[in-house]
Amino acid sequence: MTPDRVEREILIAAPVERVWAVLTEPEHIAVWFGPGAPSVDLRPGGFMVLDHGDYGSFPTRIEKVDPPNYLAYRWASGHPGEPATDTNSTLVEFTLVAEGTSTRVTVTESGFGTLVIPAGREANASYESHSQGWTEVVQAFARHAEQR
Amino acid sequence: MEPKQDAADAVLAALADPMRRRVLDVLASHGESTATVLATAMPVTRQAVVQHLALLERVALVTSRRVGRERRYTVRPEALTATARYLMLVAARWDTRLAAIKRLAELPPPSTLGLPER
Repeated sequence: MTPDRVEREILIAAPVERVWAVLTEPEHIAVWFGPGAPSVDLRPGGFMVLDHGDYGSFPTRIEKVDPPNYLAYRWASGHPGEPATDTNSTLVEFTLVAEGTSTRVTVTESGFGTLVIPAGREANASYESHSQGWTEVVQAFARHAEQR
Repeated sequence: MEPKQDAADAVLAALADPMRRRVLDVLASHGESTATVLATAMPVTRQAVVQHLALLERVALVTSRRVGRERRYTVRPEALTATARYLMLVAARWDTRLAAIKRLAELPPPSTLGLPER
């Protein structure tokens, strides 16, 4: 059990190839990540720019690509506009596994333990969680648990 | 800063276990409660709930007091540090993104609209 890791999963009623396309193609990223203009250079060392409009744009660095089952990238979620490096970012890993005609998607984000959340973001995170309400955050976990 | 960081790490470690988060969820919805009562709302034994509560208490996410033969627990949300709250938000945001990916992937492609594939 790693303390600095977030792991979520979901079962999607679509083939692995379809889910992979949604995950990696700019037209889809613009829907599931944010309303901006993403761009994708899908090779190790390439950048997949996730654009969150008002919250900024995130040049994530592709670490490993194994279509249509595995994608890993680093993103500096606390530093909008800055390319991800080894030290300013967390590692995001998507794993897509076929289950019959469906696909189980697992996403992990790890490396928070070595990250220093920038003062501005910490205040932001704190503010958001206060305005969102701690109970609501807990309920989000509960909803997730029920989906399993 | 260092002791604070250690405390945050301990909280994150405590929350890394899904069943432990669930114990915290259930306790949060019950208000003050005992391990016995919580265990009735969960798919684990009372003994497992006791162990989760003990760990949650060590990292100050819950507090307890003894009433007669019982130990009653309550959540201490203030112990959830900014870092831990940040991580919980990260998780909540992934849930939102995964749900969006699911919606997109499950849309039929335009060419097969009305022609369900088998």
